[in-house]
Amino acid sequence: MKQFLLGVGMAIGIAAPIWAHHAFAAEFDVNKPLILKGTVTEMEWINPHAWIHIDVKGADGTVTNWMIEAGAPNGLLRRGFTKASLPKGTDIVVEGWQAKDGSNRANGSNITFPDGKKLFVGSSGTGAPFDPDRDKK
Amino acid sequence: MRQLCLFVLLVGPILAADYKPPKTAWGDPDLQGTWTSDDTRGVPMERDTKLGERRYLTEQELAAREKQVQQGQERLLNPGNNASPARAQAEALAAGTPVTNAGNGRGVDIAPAPSHWVEAARRASHATSQVIDPPDGRIPALTPEAQKRLAAKNELRRARPASWENWSAYDRCITRGVAGSILPVIYGNGLEIHQGPGQVAIVYEMVHDHRIIPISTAANPIQHADAKIKSYIGDAIGHWEGSTLVVETTNFIGGVLAVGVNGDGGPPYSDQLKLTEKFTRTAANSIDFEMTVNDPGTYVKPWTVAFPITQEPGYEIFEYACHEGNHAIPNSLSAARAEDAADAKKK
Repeated sequence: MKQFLLGVGMAIGIAAPIWAHHAFAAEFDVNKPLILKGTVTEMEWINPHAWIHIDVKGADGTVTNWMIEAGAPNGLLRRGFTKASLPKGTDIVVEGWQAKDGSNRANGSNITFPDGKKLFVGSSGTGAPFDPDRDKK
Repeated sequence: MRQLCLFVLLVGPILAADYKPPKTAWGDPDLQGTWTSDDTRGVPMERDTKLGERRYLTEQELAAREKQVQQGQERLLNPGNNASPARAQAEALAAGTPVTNAGNGRGVDIAPAPSHWVEAARRASHATSQVIDPPDGRIPALTPEAQKRLAAKNELRRARPASWENWSAYDRCITRGVAGSILPVIYGNGLEIHQGPGQVAIVYEMVHDHRIIPISTAANPIQHADAKIKSYIGDAIGHWEGSTLVVETTNFIGGVLAVGVNGDGGPPYSDQLKLTEKFTRTAANSIDFEMTVNDPGTYVKPWTVAFPITQEPGYEIFEYACHEGNHAIPNSLSAARAEDAADAKKK
């Protein structure tokens, strides 16, 4: 995005606004970070963002299905994430931010397996809180 | 680290002059495969004026770019402390440090930017800019009409949104156009080339624009469609010049898309636009791509960009589910109306 701004800014003499479809800010709430423990029910390998579906068991025993937004599929593959990384039934802990509309969707930043191994689904450059590149936008 | 260094190979003026591309069964140069313009991430569209007409980086400048490429690779493979920003924030909130995030008056929070997952170059390009002609690497001046179109478009994008018309055709999942589909952006820079006798097809990763390009030959010359027939993706006709595929595209709808990133960077082009693309395979995993923009209704003279597109192990074109999970436009519109209401209350 920085490159986009640089290119366009130089080409037309003004800085273009940062907002677009699938924008983090238009969809997810930075004030609603959450940590979800659940079981994978499905993973959708689609552009521009893959989606991981998990069943989360509440304190009262009710099960709720959540959709977790991940990065672009080719970015995940490049990072070593494969189509076999998250088979159905895998227990994971997901860290992310909930959707603004309060639905059971979240923007994922990190996945931890029961053995402590981590799978990184978000990215530096998201502009999300605590992103070291956030101020460079 | 050593592994990372191995990835950082050089791309640029060193071409395998004696490389002979493979041929299809019917004898055309074979360009088929899945390609990406990722390696041009980090190369500015226009050249820094300080560099004048110098097209390639010095060894010292190249070393700096190689370092950036390495850092991009490292960040992709080992996000380090940033691996868990949501957890860090949850812990901060629990400790009583809330994160506040004001609106920008346009229905969008200020802080988070949309670059959710940023692709990075795998190799350091020698190029000082994507624009190679004019020789100063700068996009030529705009015509007065183009300046007006640009101002009107910028006003729409800047204003607090009133309707879907404030968003680009890309945001609305319609198209990024021909140029916007290959100029490198934050992700989704892939394209597939398919060939059949007398035909080349190109399918782009993001928004899934596709083009069927008939090949014109002396024996079977092909003319462009009637000038009244126009589309966002235009009317493309290809021909071979040696092992280079040359594609000329005309019959564009004017005033909507731009020759820029995602079809929205820069002024909307006019219906006089003619794009001339050249695809030359220079190695098993690399094609030199060149595109000349000739639009007398927008630019005072033609200009050309050039960069390689490469084949990368494992790179696939996945379904582009643009509308699924895309709540940005209704959310931004409803937030803009809430901001309107808040402003009215203040008065």
